[in-house]
Amino acid sequence: MYINRVNTKILPVEFKYFAPKTVSEAASILNRYGEEVRILAGGTDLLVKVKQRLIEPKYILNVKGIEELRFIEDRSGEIGVGAATKLSELVGSEIIKEKLPVLHEAAEAVGSVQIRNMGTIGGNLCNASPASDLAPPLLVLNTSVKAYSSSGERVIPLEKFFLGPGETVLKPDELLVEIKIPCPPEGTGMSFLKVARTSMDLAKANVAVAIKLDGNTVKLCRIAMGSVAPTPIRLFQTEKILLGSEFTDGKIERAVQTASEEIKPITDIRSTAEYRREVSKVLVRRALKKAYERVKEGEING
Amino acid sequence: MEKEIVTLKEKLNVVGKPKRRVDAKEKVIGKALYVDDLRFPGMLYGKVKRSIYPRARIRVIDTSKAKALKGVVAVLTAKDIPGKNMVPIIVEDMPLLAEREVRYIGEALALVAASSKRTAEEALKLIKVDYEPLTPVTSPIDALKNTSPKIYGENNIVISYKLRKGDVESGFREADVIIEREYRTGYQEHVYLEPQGIIAVPGPNGSMVIYGSLQCPHYVQKAVSYVTGIGMNKVRVVQVETGGGFGGKEDVPSWVAGYTAVLAYRTNKPVKLIYDREEDILSTSKRHPAIIKYRTGAKKTGELTAVEVKYILDAGAYATLSIPVLWRGTVHAVGPYKCPNIKVDSLAVATNKVPCGAFRGFGTPQVIFAHESQMDLLAEEIGMDPIDLRLKNALEEGDQTATGQVLRESVGLKETIRRAAELSNWHRKRREYSLLKGVKRRGIGISTVFYGVSLGAAGKHLDKAASLVHVFPDGSVVVFQSLTEIGQGQRTVIAQIASESLGVKFEDVYVQQADTSIVPDSGPTVASRGTLMPGMAVIDACKRIKKRLAAVAAEMLNTTPENLVFENGEVYNVYKPGKGMLFKEVVKEAYNRRVNLGAEGWFEAPFTSFNPETGQGEPYFVYSYATHIAEVEVDVETGKVDVLKVTAVHDSGKIINPATASGQVEGGILQGLGYALMEELQEKDGYILNPNLTDYLIPTSMDAPEIEVSFVEARYSKGPFGAKGIGEPSIMPTAAAILNAVSHAIGVRVFSLPATPEKIYWTIKGSGRYT
Ligand SMILES: Cc1cc2nc3c(=O)[nH]c(=O)nc-3n(C[C@H](O)[C@H](O)[C@H](O)COP(=O)(O)OP(=O)(O)OC[C@H]3O[C@@H](n4cnc5c(N)ncnc54)[C@H](O)[C@@H]3O)c2cc1C
Repeated sequence: MYINRVNTKILPVEFKYFAPKTVSEAASILNRYGEEVRILAGGTDLLVKVKQRLIEPKYILNVKGIEELRFIEDRSGEIGVGAATKLSELVGSEIIKEKLPVLHEAAEAVGSVQIRNMGTIGGNLCNASPASDLAPPLLVLNTSVKAYSSSGERVIPLEKFFLGPGETVLKPDELLVEIKIPCPPEGTGMSFLKVARTSMDLAKANVAVAIKLDGNTVKLCRIAMGSVAPTPIRLFQTEKILLGSEFTDGKIERAVQTASEEIKPITDIRSTAEYRREVSKVLVRRALKKAYERVKEGEING
Repeated sequence: MEKEIVTLKEKLNVVGKPKRRVDAKEKVIGKALYVDDLRFPGMLYGKVKRSIYPRARIRVIDTSKAKALKGVVAVLTAKDIPGKNMVPIIVEDMPLLAEREVRYIGEALALVAASSKRTAEEALKLIKVDYEPLTPVTSPIDALKNTSPKIYGENNIVISYKLRKGDVESGFREADVIIEREYRTGYQEHVYLEPQGIIAVPGPNGSMVIYGSLQCPHYVQKAVSYVTGIGMNKVRVVQVETGGGFGGKEDVPSWVAGYTAVLAYRTNKPVKLIYDREEDILSTSKRHPAIIKYRTGAKKTGELTAVEVKYILDAGAYATLSIPVLWRGTVHAVGPYKCPNIKVDSLAVATNKVPCGAFRGFGTPQVIFAHESQMDLLAEEIGMDPIDLRLKNALEEGDQTATGQVLRESVGLKETIRRAAELSNWHRKRREYSLLKGVKRRGIGISTVFYGVSLGAAGKHLDKAASLVHVFPDGSVVVFQSLTEIGQGQRTVIAQIASESLGVKFEDVYVQQADTSIVPDSGPTVASRGTLMPGMAVIDACKRIKKRLAAVAAEMLNTTPENLVFENGEVYNVYKPGKGMLFKEVVKEAYNRRVNLGAEGWFEAPFTSFNPETGQGEPYFVYSYATHIAEVEVDVETGKVDVLKVTAVHDSGKIINPATASGQVEGGILQGLGYALMEELQEKDGYILNPNLTDYLIPTSMDAPEIEVSFVEARYSKGPFGAKGIGEPSIMPTAAAILNAVSHAIGVRVFSLPATPEKIYWTIKGSGRYT
């Protein structure tokens, strides 16, 4: 009898593995192998799929060793975040806590400590799960993302980034390198809320709200939700109800009603469409009220 | 002087102390070896081809392509089984490999052994099965209809029991209130950390050694002998570190080992078979889904006058352990209460689904959910506090249980209720929470249970245990026993019992893993018997050795054996403390005198009985008791429940190790919390829709409430140092306590488990209470 040192369980497929140190090296590997490469960041989404054999990649390209993809930068008016920045780094960042508290809250709501220590912001977006916890806050922050390939760079508004479950506009040779988040105007109140089955689960529904008032008139209103459509979505119809009008309970209720009509939830293993619709109303109502409270707190403190 | 001696002898040095787990360090640093950590020269990898239909006739299994694949050493079907194509459990109804018909999705059809796991997986895909699908029966209610296809015996009933006491009709006539409700509970998956795994190694002279992750080595030994035809004397089962069982490794390893042994037999090579999580969830036992119809009658003053229960279990395709599970559920159906008039009818019904089996609590959590919900409904109806109602009916010494058994000793039930009420501030919180308004409501709920320790009358022929103890010339001790360490701390507790009994230091005792070639059949590691039964057998062996050593020591110390104290590695005359010798000096002298310092110990379970016509008798020789009080916060707009705190008070007799016992209770509570609120195995037409841990959710440490554990130690005269059992009582009351708390919080009741947020949401909505 010997001690077995062969991995017999974790990954049932064989693949070639690259761990480049720079973005340009990574880009040339992507250029060479195209659709056959899978990018690995934290692996908390990818490896689950490989283990279940939903995908069997021939090549795996690990981007976690690329230092230039790990940063959080305050560029007066915009926060830049490297795609391979870990969720726990987002949670721990003073810049994020201070300038983008809603992103801090959302990152903290992802999985567990272990998941946040492995998972990255880029992986969360590129995985294009309708249930992503980072997408709604980034959507209400009017985020755009930067993609890089051997043939150049392009900047894509996050709103245009998701195509469907697991699908983004990224081409097979493109690497997500940066998330560019404009700082919201002074006095904006924001909130993030999530309903899940357990503390570590993906959302049955989640929401992010950003509002700004002039007196009691809504000057800015952005609402985004997850797990209620094939991609994370902005609720433009709902926003319109509030924009330019007084922030009253009556208006909130109209917005809540509109939101429940605007979303397109489905029934799956995690929840039923009916419940998602019901709970979305609760989430939108609470998130609006919480964002409003924060506007008011800001007025008092600021 | 007389008095002092008594206190000296009763003083415990090791038992009752929170000794560190003997296996803790190796497990924490990753050094402990589990079955997948082992490898043997020339070892092959096994895989199982499984049915994709819930019910179908098998026309042909074509293995030719799979056999031709490079690296494949054997592809076997039923006709290649060298022994009987039968897994011996309680009745013989389940073949090792299906031959003419498959009866559930995941049922085994063929086996592959190959040089790598991947090749074995490829080979599975090349096995072609020609099925003729038949209409499956997937609900027990459908299975009981006359029109249902007959999938088991003449009427699809696997087993039924009845329990009759007094006259329920007159009991209901005497009642001032009658509560009648139906309850439903779902599957629960064990989710042991380590999936099923076995290595079978063929040896010389046609022998076979089985290494495995298992609870019941003697069951596996019998099963392997059955299917290979090898005599039991040549089948040796060695338990390796086991990553959890919870009942899921009671009967299942018998067939996992059966597959592996058949492959090893036919290839004459060591074969390793490790289940994937998905395979494990699809094809291994679970907690039975249940339907419980419950009718309770009581006086305005709270005394129960009659209880009538109809208890139906969804057994799955084969009997496996449904027979004893249903029996235990039947015996416990009324709960720990006095009631003169009782009628219980229970059925386990076959369906074309994976066979359900043993799961911590063994048929009781389902009925507990029902009887504890009934108690709260009754309390509400007559305007009595739920604690007072329970205290009014709770069993105490001298009372009769539902089966007419008079409880003669060790009944700490009422004290568990009183203490739990006190520790949780029940009365204050019950009042305060009732007044809460708004979106977040709080509630506090109670559940109280009894549990018959060990196998009871239905398993009495198995209810014995053996041990083997050797004292070596250096004074160190090895203990062999045959119940298994599956993560519960069993080896630690046995070491404490041996160390206390011999008066040696805890560190000088080593408890070996179970090995069927060393210790006589001691029955299974189930039924919370892992401390009591082998503990008594170990004490028996230690006594024999101590007697022999005492004869030597008495001469050396110039006294008589009765005056000797063995304690902490020393031996001294009780009248001359401080002037003794080291234990190992006595041992050395005993060796010089050729005294035998090895001994076998034996313990047979005390008397039990059961009348199959009336259900009356003494089904268990002693009972453990427990009360849990749960506090929850419910978001009435989303239905989400946070469990804030669980107060758990247990009477399991003397607690041998308070740390491991608390660990059992904490783990049980978390598992019970999952059962209550989260764990939902979704099944449609015989297909399990979420056989993975992404979609089947169990609580994590982040969902854990504050837990306060306290022990009432009502000693049992025939248990080791007064101990009873704790493994199962630790989960039993939790779900019912949580559901009672939820109902206190929201003012309406959920009648099925799990109470997911959606279910609670629609219950609230349907009640029209909050608009
Ligand atoms: C137990 C558990 C709980 C979870 N809970 C949550 C939760 O609560 N909320 C939540 O939102 N998510 C959750 N997740 C999902 C996951 O952890 C997050 O989405 C995480 O942020 C993914 O990041 P990653 O770095 O691990 O991605 P990876 O798995 O490494 O990659 C995900 C996908 O993105 C692609 N990719 C990664 N980086 C790049 C890049 N730079 N350019 C182009 N493509 C790229 C990969 O090829 C892959 O397709 C959970 C996962 C698990 C296992």
